[in-house]
Amino acid sequence: MNTIFSKFRGSLALKVIVSTVVLSLAVILAAGSALNSQLTTGIKKVNLQSSIIEARSTIFNAQYRLLLAQGQRDSEVRKVVNDVIASATSLSTNENAREVVFLKSPGNSRKINYEIASNLVDPTSIPMYLSNKVRKADDISISYITIKYIGGSDVPGLAIGDKVTIPNAGQYEMYMLFSLVNQNTTLTLIQNYLLLTGLFLVILIGLITWLVVRQVVRPVRQASRIATQFTAGDFSERMNVRSEDEISTLGNAFNEMAESLEKQIARLENLSRVQQRFVSDVSHELRTPLTTLRLSSEVINSSRQEFDPIVARSAELMVAQLDRFERLLQDLLEISRFDAEVAVLDATEFDLVTLVQRCAEDLLLVAKERSTELRVYSIADSVVVQADIRRVERILRNLFSNAIDHAEEKPIAITIVAGEFDVAVGVRDFGVGLDASTLIQVFDRFWRGDPSRSRTHGGTGLGLSIALEDARLHNGELEAWGRPGKGAHFVLTLPRNSMEIINSRLIKLQPDDYHE
Amino acid sequence: MTLVMVVDDDQDLSEMLGIVLTGAGIDVDLVSRGDEALEVFRNNPPDLVLLDVMLPGLDGVEVCKLIRAESMVPIIMLSARGDSQDVVRGLEAGADDYMVKPFKHPSELVARIRTRLRRTNTDISGLLTIGDLAIDVAAHQVLRAGKQIALTRLEFDLLVALAKEPGRVFSRDALLSEVWGYRHSTDTRLVNVHVQRLRAKIEHDAERPEIVVTVRGVGYKAGVLGRS
Repeated sequence: MNTIFSKFRGSLALKVIVSTVVLSLAVILAAGSALNSQLTTGIKKVNLQSSIIEARSTIFNAQYRLLLAQGQRDSEVRKVVNDVIASATSLSTNENAREVVFLKSPGNSRKINYEIASNLVDPTSIPMYLSNKVRKADDISISYITIKYIGGSDVPGLAIGDKVTIPNAGQYEMYMLFSLVNQNTTLTLIQNYLLLTGLFLVILIGLITWLVVRQVVRPVRQASRIATQFTAGDFSERMNVRSEDEISTLGNAFNEMAESLEKQIARLENLSRVQQRFVSDVSHELRTPLTTLRLSSEVINSSRQEFDPIVARSAELMVAQLDRFERLLQDLLEISRFDAEVAVLDATEFDLVTLVQRCAEDLLLVAKERSTELRVYSIADSVVVQADIRRVERILRNLFSNAIDHAEEKPIAITIVAGEFDVAVGVRDFGVGLDASTLIQVFDRFWRGDPSRSRTHGGTGLGLSIALEDARLHNGELEAWGRPGKGAHFVLTLPRNSMEIINSRLIKLQPDDYHE
Repeated sequence: MTLVMVVDDDQDLSEMLGIVLTGAGIDVDLVSRGDEALEVFRNNPPDLVLLDVMLPGLDGVEVCKLIRAESMVPIIMLSARGDSQDVVRGLEAGADDYMVKPFKHPSELVARIRTRLRRTNTDISGLLTIGDLAIDVAAHQVLRAGKQIALTRLEFDLLVALAKEPGRVFSRDALLSEVWGYRHSTDTRLVNVHVQRLRAKIEHDAERPEIVVTVRGVGYKAGVLGRS
């Protein structure tokens, strides 16, 4: 039931067809019943008129013949009565059965009884009200009755009665009964035909509506299918336009829209490709002169003992700034790869715990300089993951050196948690922390936490945004938590296999040691 | 005196490389076009080739293929692009190692060159066997049923590293340190590509290796033919 209802709501064609059929059914019913009642009345009227004429003449004829029998013997009179009945019942202009009934009028006290009925008709078929009407009226009286046969069935009929006088027997009522069986059969037949015609019409209308609706709905369906393809990024298909009606106007408008969309997207794609290509080319072109610069600066720097102090210091600064310049260039190149969506994940199987420990060891000296230390806590001795080791290492180094920069001489806790499908690394420092407004900017490009703070590694300001992109490339997530003065907590969650997606957070972002 | 052929189209960089290498006691032959490299190489065979990827005349990767076709000389590619494709293309063309511009330090370049030129495993004498191969370390030869298989010095070093401790599983990092002399590198592409090149030369069926066997999730080990 529900599915039918939803199908009805979902299909324009079905909606139109059903409402058309229901409406035309109502119209056909109204028209049919009007026609039926007109026909019934007409047929009944014609039948009645012919019956009245026949009854009149038969009753007049009977009265005439009875008058002629005036003064004759009883048996003769009875014979006349029988003759009258015989001729009346056989004088048939149509095939309707007819019967005659003689009834003694009430108040006729003669002993001789001529009450008679043809063909076993039960005289009680004549109802009292008709009898009374006949007695009072001067002319014939008419009523629709049920003709009852003794020991037989009842049939609908028409009774026409008048008074007749039988010689020596006083006043009688003579009734002619016309069977209406044939008339009713005709009426039923007409009704059936009407019903059948109506049904046929409704089916026909339904069929026509379906054909018409299909012409309108087909292009609409096509448009919606093509629009779905557009959503999926396929702009190749167009609507078929063959006529010049409103539907084809829709089709043309639709096709023009598709054309324009396709062009716009192609233009934008090209623009961004050119842009990214340019950034990438610039970065690469810078590399060769930078190599020469580095080599020459190192050659100069290596013999700085021979220079006077100012030149020697300048050489040192040059080397340091070239370092920084190179890191910036590398980060820019990496960002341009992410923007161009050409960053490739080079996944291998490796042990995350070993990698974390190695990264922590590499930063041992830097941490010592800042009077802090990195403490690694792992849930297991070995956590094997399928990921791009170069990118994961870059994320970890970024998070670790970031924590060292802000640790304020307090130790940093690194936790490794592994689940069945995901792994997580949490980096918790207890230093300056982050406030709500900086938290939302922390992954922005070139964002710097506190401009007044110096950076140990002369960071590029791109580290965390690259780390976030790297995490997302693995279908993972990198999140940050912080409170001013209470330190910060960065949590990296990665799927164990970079093809999968993460479906849990193994480390709570808000650290357990912190309470609001 | 060691001779290094430097093929790079950037005049200034070539000159600087020349200064650095000469300072380290290495002779330098400078070439600026890809299509001239092979001729210079034939006329004056160097001990090592330093080859830029992007070159006028002929692409560096093509030059690498041509040189490798006639010599087992160590080749180090120089690339301005650190992306996978460029590096892997170079390695697959037969380069032993690669360096991404800009190099960290002149000494890094010199160290790489020296690593590729050093005589390795001088402590081992006699024959090593791995699978159905016999390795004559001193003579720098690999023999199968008396027939020599030509390997580059790097491929030879890789094979010897595995063969001298049969059964030991080497991680890619361990091989990088042992064969390439890297202490902190996570670039496993070097190992992967060279293992494949080595397999193509020594395995009966490179698709189902029996001599250099992959240990999933860890690295490689020397297999024992027939029951690996």
